[in-house]
Amino acid sequence: MKEILLKTESLSKSFSNDGTMQHVLKNIDVQLYKGDFTVIMGASGAGKSTFLYALSGMDTPTLGTITFGDSVISDFSSDELAVFRREHCGFVFQQIYLIDGMSVMDNILTAGFLVNKDKKAVIQCARELLKAVDISVETQNKFPTQISGGEAQRVGIVRALINSPEILFADEPTGALNSKTGLDVLDTLTAFNEQGQSIVMVTHDMRSARRGNRILYLKDGMILGECDLGKYVHEDTERHKKLSAFLTEMGW
Amino acid sequence: MKENSKKCGKSVYSQFLIARCNLCKAKAQTAAIVVLILVAAFMLNLWLMLSTDYKKNFDRYHDKLNAEHVTLAIEGHRDAKIKEFISETLEKNANMSQYYMSDVLTSYGTLAYNGGEVNMEFVFIEKEEAQNRLVGSTEIVEEGEAESGIYLPMIYGIDDNIAVGKTIELTMGDHVVSYPICGFLNSVMTGSHNCSLCAFMLTSDLYQELEEKGFAFKSTLVSIRLKDKTESEDFEARLKDEISSKYPSVHPTSNSYELVSTSRYISQMICAGIVSVMAFLVTLISLVVIVSNVINYIQENMRQLGVLKAIGYKSRQIIFALMLQFLGITVIAVVVGVGLSYCLFPAINEMMISQTGIPYTIRFLPLPFAVTILFLGGAVAFSVWLSSRRIKKIEPVIALRQGIQTHNFKHNHIPLTKSHVPLNFALALKTTLSGLKQNITICITMFVLSIALVFSGLMIKNVIIDMQPFVDLVMGEMADSCININAEIEDEFLKEMKERDCVSNCYLFTMEEVRHMEGVALRATLSDDFSKVNNQDMCIKGHFPQYDNEAVIGAKYAREKGLEVGDEITLTADGHEAKYIISGFTQISNNFGKDCLLTRSGYERMGELQALSYYINITNGKDIDIFNEEISKQFEDRVNDSINQLSLLNGAASVYVALMEIIVIAILVLSVVVITFVLYLLARTLLNNKKQDYGILKALGFTTKQLILQTAVSFMPAVILSAVVGLIVSSLIINPLTALFLGGLGIVKCTFALPVGFIIAAGVGLVVLAFGIASFLSLRIRKIAPRALLLGE
Repeated sequence: MKEILLKTESLSKSFSNDGTMQHVLKNIDVQLYKGDFTVIMGASGAGKSTFLYALSGMDTPTLGTITFGDSVISDFSSDELAVFRREHCGFVFQQIYLIDGMSVMDNILTAGFLVNKDKKAVIQCARELLKAVDISVETQNKFPTQISGGEAQRVGIVRALINSPEILFADEPTGALNSKTGLDVLDTLTAFNEQGQSIVMVTHDMRSARRGNRILYLKDGMILGECDLGKYVHEDTERHKKLSAFLTEMGW
Repeated sequence: MKENSKKCGKSVYSQFLIARCNLCKAKAQTAAIVVLILVAAFMLNLWLMLSTDYKKNFDRYHDKLNAEHVTLAIEGHRDAKIKEFISETLEKNANMSQYYMSDVLTSYGTLAYNGGEVNMEFVFIEKEEAQNRLVGSTEIVEEGEAESGIYLPMIYGIDDNIAVGKTIELTMGDHVVSYPICGFLNSVMTGSHNCSLCAFMLTSDLYQELEEKGFAFKSTLVSIRLKDKTESEDFEARLKDEISSKYPSVHPTSNSYELVSTSRYISQMICAGIVSVMAFLVTLISLVVIVSNVINYIQENMRQLGVLKAIGYKSRQIIFALMLQFLGITVIAVVVGVGLSYCLFPAINEMMISQTGIPYTIRFLPLPFAVTILFLGGAVAFSVWLSSRRIKKIEPVIALRQGIQTHNFKHNHIPLTKSHVPLNFALALKTTLSGLKQNITICITMFVLSIALVFSGLMIKNVIIDMQPFVDLVMGEMADSCININAEIEDEFLKEMKERDCVSNCYLFTMEEVRHMEGVALRATLSDDFSKVNNQDMCIKGHFPQYDNEAVIGAKYAREKGLEVGDEITLTADGHEAKYIISGFTQISNNFGKDCLLTRSGYERMGELQALSYYINITNGKDIDIFNEEISKQFEDRVNDSINQLSLLNGAASVYVALMEIIVIAILVLSVVVITFVLYLLARTLLNNKKQDYGILKALGFTTKQLILQTAVSFMPAVILSAVVGLIVSSLIINPLTALFLGGLGIVKCTFALPVGFIIAAGVGLVVLAFGIASFLSLRIRKIAPRALLLGE
């Protein structure tokens, strides 16, 4: 029996657009489990990113509840959500979003020192994570504009993991990268997932989606279907076929 | 040809569109810059109005009333012989162009004014005669319906107790006369208590009555117009010298164009000086803000600039669009600022008239407006050009890549691995250290505000709260009472003073006119013993004269003539000359720096003293007026005059105190406005530049409060450092700077006590205000949502 990490009930999100309401998410009931690599897929405008913002406490739902453990985070104030994000979540963005004016190391420590007051431990942890994602010591003192996109995204992953979050949210983490560096980033995510890290990733790329063990397909603001791919195995053709069939069934 | 001009027109139009687009995108920033330029334009135009046309107003009325350049009141003399001698002397003088002599009544007297009293030589002129004098006529500026009464100089009209229909009391010696006020007059050379002579117009019945009663001397008033008005002081001194030489008993009271034109415009001079400094400082801040704004614009709109270049815009066209944008703002702000100066000028005029006593009609002045718009327009255009030149170096491809290649973060300020300060402060310091432009703008602004605050504190402590330091500086010496006696009763008078317990100090302090042989007329202040004077700082270099061959001269005059301590000068009085060694410099401004101090015996080497003024300090709670009355009664007509100097001070100096109060309030309000708008621009720019960073930080879990604190704190190092340095430097330079403002009065060295408590409080207040404003402005961070990152907003 898997442990529930996040749970939504009747989750809805609407936006007002020139006086007309646009319902982006409609009554979503879903449970996300600890240790899963959940992938959210769907066509453009299906509400994937909106779903991710709501789950991660970056945005508040219009209706419905989101529960994390015993806490109903959908009732949180913006400051409570900030504390929730810093203590329980990690984020990897498509545009990477490292702070240009800070060195690679400082980008990571800015997130780390926010939660952990033991500076030495945070620095040690950052160094270990950077080593794990193959970022050299020299690169740690460089600025984001002085490193490659792949390196920057791996730094982004380290920043997301520095506080050992219970859940890592990734929004199209390979979207801004070329094929090779994208693959490196996916390998990194997979490696962390294999170590027990829960991940929720939005993507519209099949190659990325294959890394997940659970696929949620969104259409018109609702979960149209889901697919259990099982544990990721490198170059597993069956897995690929299963995913293709699921997506075809969903109208991909 | 036609096609070329069409192309040019289209090109300018397209640049206009770019400028309009930029303005629309940054409405709030534009509004803030408009306010700063508006304040600069307001002050610049005000300064130009005050220093050009306002001062010229004196000459306009001088010409209109065919006023004299030298006025002489021959007190107690109407002899034909003396008049004939004066006529002959004047006609022989090549510099004299026209003169007029008429009979008047004169008396040294006192009138209650402005909560105190003024004491001067009253000149009573018959109404018809006053208005029809060929030289130095008088005009009526306000008149009631009464047929019999007195017309007073309009300067006294500012006192609510002195108004048409009311009655005024004039004290002349032991006599008090009271007249109904018929109206107010304007006399250029004798229309103020700052002119040595003060004219009062009496209706013919009252004039005859006063003449018959004998309360005032039957005197002669001589008004002389000169061909060269710059010689007026020297002409006055020479003429008096010649008259005294021929008739030793005649000691005319006089004034000159130079003295009157300066003394009636002291407020204007002080006000214009302060406004000019403030105008240039606010202009400087505005330009720094514009430079910073343009640089930020380039950084923020790198991609747009790339697009413009890619579609064929030349760098100079983009720069021209920026100039168009800022010059458009400048023109609007200048027009509104100049308009504001005209709206507020009636109030300023009212304030000035209380000191000048000359009517001023407000009208549009094209020259100050043109200078203001050209100066500010030119300065803004130059600043925009200077800061936008880097557009030329931007390659379209680089710009389209958001200028990434132009970024060069060479230094990681406050590395978090080594930092020992809390995270939020470390991040705030990172922002501080990476914002050079922001820091420069803050430093310049804070420095300017520091000067303004220290100056305000100096004025509050030394003028508004306790005006004694200002009085000591400007008037030189003050005592409680001044009693003028005939020389023959001196021994008896001094014996009486010694016997009176209430007299703590009594010393000779009398004034006479002397002439420097190589220069002009000097006002000589004489004393038996200068060690007794209350203001021992009167001598600012060297020492007071101790021997009869020593003289202390005005520092300003000495500087003009290249005289040094130890030099020898020749002075003349009553037709005799004597040589003196300069023992020191003074800056008393009885005669705007053309002053000297001599020992009594030193003066007597040239002339004889007939009337002596003694300065007296009174203790034991004795009322000064009662003391003066007792002495006057005791010595009867051998006491020429007795003055309550404290009361006199209140009457004359309250105008300056009121002026300073207004200036200080204006400076403080302006400081708050300037710091608010500068910080608004900086905070807005910072928030725009770091919008994405704040989004990232919020996504990482930073709360809005933490980010607001970080932003506000990021301004503080520059604010605190520049406030501390600014206040220290301002404290060091403020006295020399004040001396510069008061240079026209003959002041070369100012030693006002620094208001240390006020300066510290002002510094803390400035920092707290800056922090409050920065925090308030940073509230915009609340609107930055982390999800905006994901939407790419």
